[in-house]
Amino acid sequence: MAGTVSGIRTIAITYRILIRQLVTTGRMIALSLIGLAVVLVGWSVGNAERNEFFLDAESIATLRQEDAVFIISLIGFTILVPVVALVFAAATLGDMREDGTLLYLWLRPMPRWAVAVGAWLSSLTISLPLTLIPLGLTALALDTDTELVVATLLATAIGVIAYTALFVLLGTLVRNAIVWGLGYVIIWEGIVAAFGTAAAKVAVRGYTSSILTARTDIEIEVGNSTQTTAILVPLLIALGALTLASLRLGSLEVE
Amino acid sequence: MPGSLPPPPPPPKVPMVAVTNVTKAYGDVVAVSDVTFTVGPGITALLGPNGAGKSTLFRMMCGLAPPTRGTVHVLGQNARTNAEVRGKIGLAPQQDALFDRLSALEFVEMMALTHGVADARAAAIHALGLVDLDVNEPKGVGSYSKGMRQRVKLAAALVNDPEVLILDEPLTGLDPVQRRRMIELFHELADLGKCVLVSSHVLDEVARLGSEVLVIAQGRLAATGDFHALRNQMDDRPHRLHVEVDDPRRLGAALFDRGLVSGVAVVGDALECTTPDVDRFGRQLAPTAKELGIRLRVMRSLDDDLESVFRYLVER
Repeated sequence: MAGTVSGIRTIAITYRILIRQLVTTGRMIALSLIGLAVVLVGWSVGNAERNEFFLDAESIATLRQEDAVFIISLIGFTILVPVVALVFAAATLGDMREDGTLLYLWLRPMPRWAVAVGAWLSSLTISLPLTLIPLGLTALALDTDTELVVATLLATAIGVIAYTALFVLLGTLVRNAIVWGLGYVIIWEGIVAAFGTAAAKVAVRGYTSSILTARTDIEIEVGNSTQTTAILVPLLIALGALTLASLRLGSLEVE
Repeated sequence: MPGSLPPPPPPPKVPMVAVTNVTKAYGDVVAVSDVTFTVGPGITALLGPNGAGKSTLFRMMCGLAPPTRGTVHVLGQNARTNAEVRGKIGLAPQQDALFDRLSALEFVEMMALTHGVADARAAAIHALGLVDLDVNEPKGVGSYSKGMRQRVKLAAALVNDPEVLILDEPLTGLDPVQRRRMIELFHELADLGKCVLVSSHVLDEVARLGSEVLVIAQGRLAATGDFHALRNQMDDRPHRLHVEVDDPRRLGAALFDRGLVSGVAVVGDALECTTPDVDRFGRQLAPTAKELGIRLRVMRSLDDDLESVFRYLVER
């Protein structure tokens, strides 16, 4: 009657279960409000009056783009992207491990790697619209340049991919993954990454910001990798995190 | 009888679960200590007080936790490393957590899918029928009562038609009718040759299962065998009783003189008696008190609770 379950099928089952569990009204409202706040900051900065009458049009455009890159990097990539990813990704395997429901996926003839991938995809699916939409709107409000909007959307997507994988892993490693994750976001991504280009290379934010700087030619301290590196490294981080999460799933004690 | 052979012994039960010299420690705390047993088809009850190590043993059988020492095999395999054998186990865990936003049908159907059941919807409907739950109930299981959630867990454990069914306190939260129905169901499954392991800390529940029993106390296997034999063994132990009377000294002396007690102590206006034959003591106490003109107020057992039974089994 029963048998083993293929990897693809396991991903689909895990995904279906977790999507239903993750989308709660409270989470969606809270995170949408944070997104809205980011858009409002972008709109207020983008519409602020300045004493720019002594500058030519090109300089004004550059100044506006510098402001935009700085704000998107600071608020978007330091707060919104990691926090949204943390809330959903840590709630996948982390919450299941803590409330005891993990055994319903663990004690099954299913490959562990596929459970980890299904968990990651579910958190990715929910996190992407909650970050892409507000940051896309913020970029538009700050500067109407299409390149900035495209760079913002690309960097956001890459950031969400890396952060969700990292926080899925974190959920398998520690209890109260949200608290540990917030500590990581504030201390590592927020403070350590701001110490300069070398420190930024060991933080996801350094790469997301690099995509912005590479595509807009606006330089900020936390992002000086090439665009190819800035895309590839977060993807490798995601791959590594999911591999470790799979291994961890196989070795952990399930309550 | 000349010329006739003795009847052949019953065939040995195939060990479907084999626990060999298993110890499980969490730091300095030993949850299970050097336990060895095998379990074959039929119902086997793990009886023990809360915290005795029953759930830890179940978790190790399912592979959810590795033993610190020893080996645990289900159907000859280690469930922690063998995916195929995990598909032959049905577990109803003690903890209450479910995917609360799913309806009962959705939940059990998902569980069927996780086992690779071909027609998951049909299997889920069948399993929910076995536990008398409404398949058309659209509400999420998060809104269910404890008894309903318990039955959802049972349905989820049954949905893959497992060969080994591990049920951790499965009767908790069920009303008497549901309990009777579930016990019948366990017997039906056992009759089909399945290995049904049921844990309980309630002696009467195990009595109704009428099964092989493994008594677990303080992480050790305290006793094993047929429930009724075990029950008789428990009844043979010395009993302690608390008796409140008007004149405890006089009654105590009389009980001792008549051989009804092997020990007696006066505690305030009460007696604490130890008797080797609780039935005889019960029959003779009131006539003795009446004969001496002593008013008997209260009599209660000091060790009829399960904890003391376990203590007796462990200490003997």
